[in-house]
Amino acid sequence: MEIRKGKYRLDNRNLHFDMADDLNFNKSGGCFYFRGGNGFGKTSFLEKVIIPALKADNLPYLYIGQDIRTQLYTLRALLSIQGFKVSDTDEVELLRLWINQGQSASVLILDEFDKYFPDYGFIFDWSAAFIRTYIIVTHLAVNRRESVDHNYRIYNVRFELINIDGHLKNIRVRSE
Amino acid sequence: MNNIVIFKLGAIFITILSFFWLFVFGPFYDDIVIQLAVFIVVMGWNVLRFSLQETISLLKFCLPFVLSLFVFGLIFHFIQLLGRTDWLPDTLIKCLVFPSSLIFLKILLTYITYLDILNLPISMKKRIGLITMKSAFQKGEKIMRRFSWYLNTYSDLRSDNRIKSELKKYACLIIALYLYLYEEIENSNRLLKNRYQHFYEVNE
Repeated sequence: MEIRKGKYRLDNRNLHFDMADDLNFNKSGGCFYFRGGNGFGKTSFLEKVIIPALKADNLPYLYIGQDIRTQLYTLRALLSIQGFKVSDTDEVELLRLWINQGQSASVLILDEFDKYFPDYGFIFDWSAAFIRTYIIVTHLAVNRRESVDHNYRIYNVRFELINIDGHLKNIRVRSE
Repeated sequence: MNNIVIFKLGAIFITILSFFWLFVFGPFYDDIVIQLAVFIVVMGWNVLRFSLQETISLLKFCLPFVLSLFVFGLIFHFIQLLGRTDWLPDTLIKCLVFPSSLIFLKILLTYITYLDILNLPISMKKRIGLITMKSAFQKGEKIMRRFSWYLNTYSDLRSDNRIKSELKKYACLIIALYLYLYEEIENSNRLLKNRYQHFYEVNE
């Protein structure tokens, strides 16, 4: 799956993205770190550009959103209808069960996961056997210790503010 | 102030009772044209009070219940259960009455504010209970859309059989909402009680 360079407009969120480079998620072993200031549309870009493209390409993916506390209710419900006893299960175990169930996925998206789990290397330990591409939104300047780093090529994707036109933010997205 | 609040709440409850008396249990229940008009008016009111998107998500929430009602009505009609031949028109009326009454009730209850509850001449314990309920349901309504969004991202819920996957999704939505409300009610109630207790003790 590829997000081609060009303009992406999310008018209802007052965001216009100018993609300076193609983002190619087909490459095996890619780890894309999305960085940029608060309000520069990283989550919107994930939810309105990348996830619809993954759906359109029928590419199975796992997405852990920024509002993980909200998402956990849906994971608890999902796992319970799949026959797991999750009434006393803690959140890390819930995530492990869900990721373990989702082995058909080849893309794993983490949106500011480090906000809740600063040392989140366990996610890679659980998923590196089947995930080809990681997309990670983070505010941390350095790529933290992660076992996955040794096997995956790192791409740094930066979200930069070009200007603000009224309520509209024009954002440049470039990949290094 | 207390009198105004009692009058306001009284008017809201009389309106709700009148609606149910007229359209759900009373004289206009059998009239499908009136039920259709009521449905359109209630949906329009919800769009004006909230938004089109919110109304669509509410209708989506009602859809599995309405569909199962319709399917059973259809089956009963064809097998002429209990010798009745009016199952189909009766089912169609119920399919309109269910979302109309639910959404009407929801709209009316949103006119009750936290300030109204605080001004009610009832014990603080009861006020805390009412505030907790209002806060939980308000949050629950907003969270429903986000739950649906997440559920749409789970490939485990996608299968070749669209009906099956939609039913699973709705089952998850209802369980998630129940879990959320349960926890939210407990947490808000504890928080409010603690705060009240703290202020009460400080002022003592």
